[in-house]
Amino acid sequence: MEFKNVLLIMQKEVREALKNRWFIIYTVCFSILALLLLFFSYSREEILGVSGFGRTAASLINLVLLFVPLVSLVTGAISISNERENGTLFYLLSHPVERSEVFTGKFLGLLVSIWVSICLGFGLSGIVVGIKGGSLGASKYLLTTLLSLLLAVSLLSIGFIVSVLSKKAAKSIGISVFLWLFFLVFSDLGIMGTTIVMDLGIKPVFVLALLNPTEVFKIAAVLNMSPRFEVLGPVGVYALRSFGRDGTFYLLFSAMILWTVIPIVIGFLAFTLLKKE
Amino acid sequence: MITVREVTKRFKDIKAVDCVSFNVKKGEAVALLGANGAGKSTLIKCILGLLSFEGEITLNGLNVEKSSKEAKSLIGYVPQEPVFYDMRALDILEFFGAIRGVDMGRIEEIVNLVGLREHILKQSSALSGGMKQRLSFAIALISNPPILVLDEPTSNLDAYARAEFLKLIRELKLQGKTVLFSSHRLDEVEFLADRVVVMKSGKVVMESKPNVLAETLGLKVRMYIKVPTPWIETATDILKREGFGAVTLNENTLLLEVTSREKTIPLKKLLFAEIPVEDLSIEEPSMERIMQEVQGDGI
Repeated sequence: MEFKNVLLIMQKEVREALKNRWFIIYTVCFSILALLLLFFSYSREEILGVSGFGRTAASLINLVLLFVPLVSLVTGAISISNERENGTLFYLLSHPVERSEVFTGKFLGLLVSIWVSICLGFGLSGIVVGIKGGSLGASKYLLTTLLSLLLAVSLLSIGFIVSVLSKKAAKSIGISVFLWLFFLVFSDLGIMGTTIVMDLGIKPVFVLALLNPTEVFKIAAVLNMSPRFEVLGPVGVYALRSFGRDGTFYLLFSAMILWTVIPIVIGFLAFTLLKKE
Repeated sequence: MITVREVTKRFKDIKAVDCVSFNVKKGEAVALLGANGAGKSTLIKCILGLLSFEGEITLNGLNVEKSSKEAKSLIGYVPQEPVFYDMRALDILEFFGAIRGVDMGRIEEIVNLVGLREHILKQSSALSGGMKQRLSFAIALISNPPILVLDEPTSNLDAYARAEFLKLIRELKLQGKTVLFSSHRLDEVEFLADRVVVMKSGKVVMESKPNVLAETLGLKVRMYIKVPTPWIETATDILKREGFGAVTLNENTLLLEVTSREKTIPLKKLLFAEIPVEDLSIEEPSMERIMQEVQGDGI
């Protein structure tokens, strides 16, 4: 793999993403909503006396759960399939570039673009909190940002797998939206239903939760923010009692890492081995 | 330079390319001829290393599957319908130039060579079909590769641009470039190709020099012979007697079909019978007729 080619393709992707009006709308919406959440957090702070980054980060978790998976999945899902459909991928690959360079360059380019928009949202809020003098929970805020960035990598990788395996962009978008709904809504309902029907214990429910990257992010982010065990529900209490606070967090963080590494490897191998052009 | 050896490409149960073998020597221009679905584009994709296949393709000794990158650096490729990223033509040239490791000086040179100067700052989406084709040709030539692979390269060009384009390709061929191209136009094939590889249903069914392709296929040329009206019946009888299927078109014109080698015989027969020939025109087999023959069961 030649770094020069990876860098060239990555730069092209960033440039295209920055020109993409949907991407701009997403970034602007995410940043504005983050600032609005911050504003409301401060309004409540004046009443409740709670201050700093912690509350802002807690508010941002819900925003991240809604926006980041959707944008990452859809962006990843159209990355290859769209180029395959309109013929630009075929044309690019007819030049002296390896498939591995194309995959890596595109992935990194899109990842940088998504990370920029996430950092912009978190960054603007962070700057406002900093200016207002709230320093409480700065490390938690940074850790929430880091978890959000990891969530983006994970779902972008899953989107890339969908894209590599789809011939049509419309199909890959459909699958990615379904996955978004699945991860955010159906998965929770599925776990609850399975638990009731199969009378599952707490341990299998915790394991099932680890099979969903958005669930892993949610538990890790809440655990990061809250000093109390109860906010995580029975599963969180089980995890904390079994592994301890740090142990649970490392376990969840490792699960997030696995959720980033495994889909990247699968997508990479699928693209480099399956020649669908 | 290009060696295609027993290449087979299957899509599930369908063989798009079926045990195809041929060579293209250095400096030679070879045309791939065949109807839609004959397997030309699939074969070109295999040569570009974009599809996995059975058999072996080497470019200058480099296996396109094992040494894909090195092999592709030897090729300049012009697709049938160029599609580009939505960037300015200059940015696209710089992007592919950077991938092929060329400097800005070469980009300047190539822009002038293909006549793209006035359009270089336009977005690719704003370029006409002809300009897109010029851009893809500029990209193909940017690193001065020894092999050109052209997939119906003139399909989007007007008559003037096509003539200029063909002239340029021929000049490049004369400079020693190896050219493999697919085309539906006999005039292009005759103008550029040293050899024609005819494909049908994924197989190579014939290899021929372009000027004898029609004859190899058994196609006849049409001769229109004009004689004075009083001689028309006599002329028709003489030619029929000699075995030519002459048909009277009107009061003074005869139509007959002969092989390319027989063209002078009807004239000799008429002159021998002292029948004055007022005019003569010869119609070579059209590309449509050749393609019909290629598609038909004849070969």
